[in-house]
Amino acid sequence: MQTIGILLPRSTYYETIGFDLYEGLRSGLKHLGRADIRIVSENIGFGADKQQCYRSAEKLLLEENVDLVIAYIGHRTAQLLRPLFLAANKMLIVLDAGANLPHEWSVCPNIFYHSLHNALGAWHIAKEAADNGYKNAGMVTGYYDGGYLHTYSICKSFEIAGGTICFNHATGYKAADFTMEPLINHLEQYPDSALLSLFSGDYVQWYFEGIKNLFENKNIPIYLPPFAFEETMLAKAVYPSNNIKGIAAWSKKIDTEVNTTFIETITEAGRIPNLFSLLSWESATIALKVLELTETHKKNATKIATDLQSFKFESPRGSIYFDSKTNISISPFYKATIIPTDDGMCEIQLEGEATDVFENYVKLTDEELNNSTSAWYNSYVCI
Amino acid sequence: MSAYNMEKQKKIIVLCGGKFAFKTLQLLAYEKFISGIGIGNGSETITEALERETENSNIEFKSFPNQKSISEMKNWIESIQPDYIFCISFPFLIPESVLAYGTDKFINFHPAPLPQYRGAMPIFEVLKNQENETAICVHFMNTKFDEGPIIFNDTVLINPGDTYGKLTVRLSERMAQVALNVANMIQFASKIPSQPQDEMLSYYYEKPTLADTYINWKRMTGSQIIALINACNPWNTGADATLLGEQIKIISASLLHSKHNNQPGTIVSMTDTLNIACEDNQQIAIEILSTDQGIMTAQHFGSLKPI
Repeated sequence: MQTIGILLPRSTYYETIGFDLYEGLRSGLKHLGRADIRIVSENIGFGADKQQCYRSAEKLLLEENVDLVIAYIGHRTAQLLRPLFLAANKMLIVLDAGANLPHEWSVCPNIFYHSLHNALGAWHIAKEAADNGYKNAGMVTGYYDGGYLHTYSICKSFEIAGGTICFNHATGYKAADFTMEPLINHLEQYPDSALLSLFSGDYVQWYFEGIKNLFENKNIPIYLPPFAFEETMLAKAVYPSNNIKGIAAWSKKIDTEVNTTFIETITEAGRIPNLFSLLSWESATIALKVLELTETHKKNATKIATDLQSFKFESPRGSIYFDSKTNISISPFYKATIIPTDDGMCEIQLEGEATDVFENYVKLTDEELNNSTSAWYNSYVCI
Repeated sequence: MSAYNMEKQKKIIVLCGGKFAFKTLQLLAYEKFISGIGIGNGSETITEALERETENSNIEFKSFPNQKSISEMKNWIESIQPDYIFCISFPFLIPESVLAYGTDKFINFHPAPLPQYRGAMPIFEVLKNQENETAICVHFMNTKFDEGPIIFNDTVLINPGDTYGKLTVRLSERMAQVALNVANMIQFASKIPSQPQDEMLSYYYEKPTLADTYINWKRMTGSQIIALINACNPWNTGADATLLGEQIKIISASLLHSKHNNQPGTIVSMTDTLNIACEDNQQIAIEILSTDQGIMTAQHFGSLKPI
């Protein structure tokens, strides 16, 4: 019997992340007619404990003898696991939030990344802000979200597009410390600035509440990356103003048969479809391709990787393929705005597919990070 | 803190041959993995520099200037009691008496794929053989050079136009990350998987001699010559060749996709470059060469030798 291992994280504000990732994979395999494949899961906590991550992966490979491993981790943890997967000659499919940027895009035939591309989304929205005529901007983030290198992406992109980052505001991570008050002064000093904002989970709700309380009816321009468009969180966020736009990686509103099938299947399984179940649902297709190629190429990792690099498939968010230079999946982005629901909360309105996703990806990955580093080891949104 | 984090940091000794291992030493020292550094046959400058660096830390240092001095290694290792010994381009064979310190405690980082590229200068060989990729092979050590069970080969792409120097620098940088990955691996792993080497695929390359670095105009294609020139730059100050009856070394050249009617090894034309006929009806354009009179551009060479 073929076996797939999955490393599952936990998150305080996405309490169901582990269940969502598991169900996405299980339903995805079932939908593809492979309910016979055994899934073995291991817990990796917040993804910050190197030993826990390593031992969990080791257990799946050496004790459970899985055929491949799927893991919601970042580049840094994937590097930690790299020698293990090379030595075991098995494939690791990394489900990556894409919030951090690695210091080297070192390709390994045994590791492929399937990403939600938050840093690339941040790159897009900063460029869009500049294209919309904003010369000045402030980066607004929090203690937690600000620790990932999507901060570098959003600022660099705005500067390359000719803009100037005039101020940064990174607020605290506890409710008592979380404040948008400094923005009053910043915006007085730099009026007509766009707010390039990096928040996720509960912090999106807190951010919107802060904006509503301090700037209601002022319609200050706010730009958001994919994780801020996570719909289960948005549904609980108060609608702050009507000048909020950005990039969504996926939405329930994408009107395709593939997306409808995904939503219906996950809903029937008793879960609310979200970015995490989406990511692992898609990974089922990649995993089956890896299993097929493993058999075809008799476990020759280089040949498996070469064929996987040219693999393309239809997903709930559109066509997905891999960049052969980095072994990272490229998927469509959607321009989106935030609109109010009848009860004054938030929902997404899709404004069409974003263009030049791959071109921007190449620009982002060509950028030197210089001395920018991230101290956050945990998988993004797993706190 | 979780129970996992309570485990003691593993102690590692690194045995190296010099500059190539510096990035690795820096990174492993930064991550507090290194408890000792041994250098084999290093130049005095490098040995002194390393000794100075280790004086200010808790890292033990020892120089092994020749094969005879290896007899002191056993006691040195036993006095430090490392968990593992990493070897990065250490020039001497480690005898069985030293390896007896512990089975699977000695790990070599070989700068080329194994078992295909055994030997002392595999970077030269992969370039000469026009490979598209090479690797850093991590393997357990036994009493023979490059023959122990393989833990993994970590692929490194070879870029068009890579010279021995460029590839060596890139491998040295990559080596640091691979060594750190392995340090983490030994820190956290309950078992390190390895595979015996497939002897059917193995090849041992002796250290290159003049016969290996010499351009044979009559037998080598243009691309083979360029590969050899790149493989010899800078360690051999270029590929050896005979031109106009003189022994020279070609340091830098590129392939000209241009046909000719000349004998291989003769000068077709002199532009900014010195263009030489090859046996496959291609030409190579020499940019820099070394002669008895010194290192010079092709133009300078042309001005000295009326063609």
